[in-house]
Amino acid sequence: MTSPDLLRRFLENAGNAAAGTHVVFDAPGLRRVLSEIVPGTDPVFCPGLTDKEKAAAPFLPCRAADYASATATVEEVYGAIAETGSLVCVSSGGRAVQAGLLPSHHVAIVSRERIFATLDECFASFAEGPPTNITLVTGPSRTADIELTLAIGVHGPEKLDIIVF
Amino acid sequence: MSDVQTSLTFRANAARAIKDAPLRSAMRQAADTFGTKRADAFAPVADLEALRDKASAIRLQVLDRLQEYVDTFAFQATKAGATVHRARDAGSAREIIAKILKDRNARTVVKGKSMVSEEIHLNAHLEKQGMEALETDLGEYIIQLVGETPSHIIVPAIHKNRQQVGRLFAEKLGVEYTEDPQALTKIARKALREKFLAADAGLSGANFAAAASGSLVLFTNEGNGRMVTTIPPLHIAILSLEKMIPSLADLPTFIRLLPRSATGQSITSYVSVITGTRKPGEATGAKELHIVLLDNGRSEILSGECREILKCIRCGACMNVCPVYRTVGGHSYGWTYPGPMGIVLTTLLTGMAQSHPLVDATTLCGACVEVCPVRIPLVDLFLKLRERRVREGFSKPMEKQGMRVFGKAAASPSLFSAGQFLSRTFWPLVRAFGGKDVAGRLPRPAKVPFHRRVP
Repeated sequence: MTSPDLLRRFLENAGNAAAGTHVVFDAPGLRRVLSEIVPGTDPVFCPGLTDKEKAAAPFLPCRAADYASATATVEEVYGAIAETGSLVCVSSGGRAVQAGLLPSHHVAIVSRERIFATLDECFASFAEGPPTNITLVTGPSRTADIELTLAIGVHGPEKLDIIVF
Repeated sequence: MSDVQTSLTFRANAARAIKDAPLRSAMRQAADTFGTKRADAFAPVADLEALRDKASAIRLQVLDRLQEYVDTFAFQATKAGATVHRARDAGSAREIIAKILKDRNARTVVKGKSMVSEEIHLNAHLEKQGMEALETDLGEYIIQLVGETPSHIIVPAIHKNRQQVGRLFAEKLGVEYTEDPQALTKIARKALREKFLAADAGLSGANFAAAASGSLVLFTNEGNGRMVTTIPPLHIAILSLEKMIPSLADLPTFIRLLPRSATGQSITSYVSVITGTRKPGEATGAKELHIVLLDNGRSEILSGECREILKCIRCGACMNVCPVYRTVGGHSYGWTYPGPMGIVLTTLLTGMAQSHPLVDATTLCGACVEVCPVRIPLVDLFLKLRERRVREGFSKPMEKQGMRVFGKAAASPSLFSAGQFLSRTFWPLVRAFGGKDVAGRLPRPAKVPFHRRVP
């Protein structure tokens, strides 16, 4: 159960970290958002492992076979954290966490009921033993190494979009 | 890269840095920006003081039973597929890493930012063995291209302006000159992307190591830390012993404190938690993970009176508020770690003989103590180190003589009165000939001493 307040806090904090945020309730909604944010001609990687990824796949006209040759990745992630506006990406289930790192555009689908209120709740969910890789992603890749001027898109994605579904 | 420690010439280094106007303005800008952003980032945190207490308590708990935590970490990391190595000093850490690479015929190594690797001068050692160790953090990449060392632990190339970086990239990478930071960042992205994909090995540090699960934790903004730990088939992580935290349940406290204290962000773009190697059926993680646990003097600090410096989480907040650091910059301190925490760590790790002038590089104002997220009593540590400098015989002869004379005089009322009489009598002479440096700084002796004025 995600309270409206939790969702609002997550979207606000993710937006403050320069992520694009979208909320959809059904497949047509997902299609509309994907057609707006992912150009139809770009090769897109979508693992198609979960129901929501399977729902997204038909709306991506140009699929890439792997993330290395894609300009965008559309995937469902493990969860999200309202406190920080972060996505929680994990390696469980054979998922390649670097699929959300190499392409210049990362589109993450978050299930509404997978939004944790706090960092503590998120890490408590791994109490049984963490998977090989857990990465909290908050906004696009950034640096201020040249004259403290913010530049977006260093080694990771230049654009991060979050779709709460 | 200069591997020679120059802390002994701190005063001369500082004098040179003070004359370097562009450096001073860059340092001041960095300090002000981070200082303001830090304050803004903590403003909405209601229970900051309680959070600092908690972080300090966790770090102390780790120090109290450090060996236990290190052993648990090593056991759990091994269970998760990593190979754990223990290095007593810098030399053995360099050897261990070079051997891992050599045994696998690895020639190209991409590096994430690691102060510990600077501490042990790893790059120079690997280059001597014919390997390429490429820094991939943008700031570190810039200064590696110039052949310098970091001037700031968070923004290592803060002393280079955009024109200098533009000319450097044009010359070394053969690209067209631009001074737009966004365009320069894109150039580095492209140049380094090829290197990440082709590298034989990735080398990283770690911000924390969670003992209970054997996990490494890395905070990065650029994504290079994620690259070096997940793309090459071999990942080597080097960290000093005190990076332990008990478990991942303790991590939220440090996620709330470290980025806010360092760059004024509420969280870095990426926080990676790496537990062992890629397992069967997985598509993430290095196939081989080697973790080098470096002591290099930590055990000795742990048993001494300055052990609380080992609570440090390397945020750099103490530097940004330090009036000395803001004026003289990071290079003046002459070793890997600058600023208030650097004074303590440098003198302890390299020895008073190599670094004693650093204990004067403070006004004892305590601004560092005010901001330290883990409550390191830095001013107390400075005073302990000053006492230690005297004990170890590194104070100046004049100072020692002066203190001896004052000690004698202060212990005898008649000598003390005679001294007061002499200072009153000769004050006109001192004022006339002492010049601005002496007379201007000395207080004028009172006509009637204070104790005679009190009824």
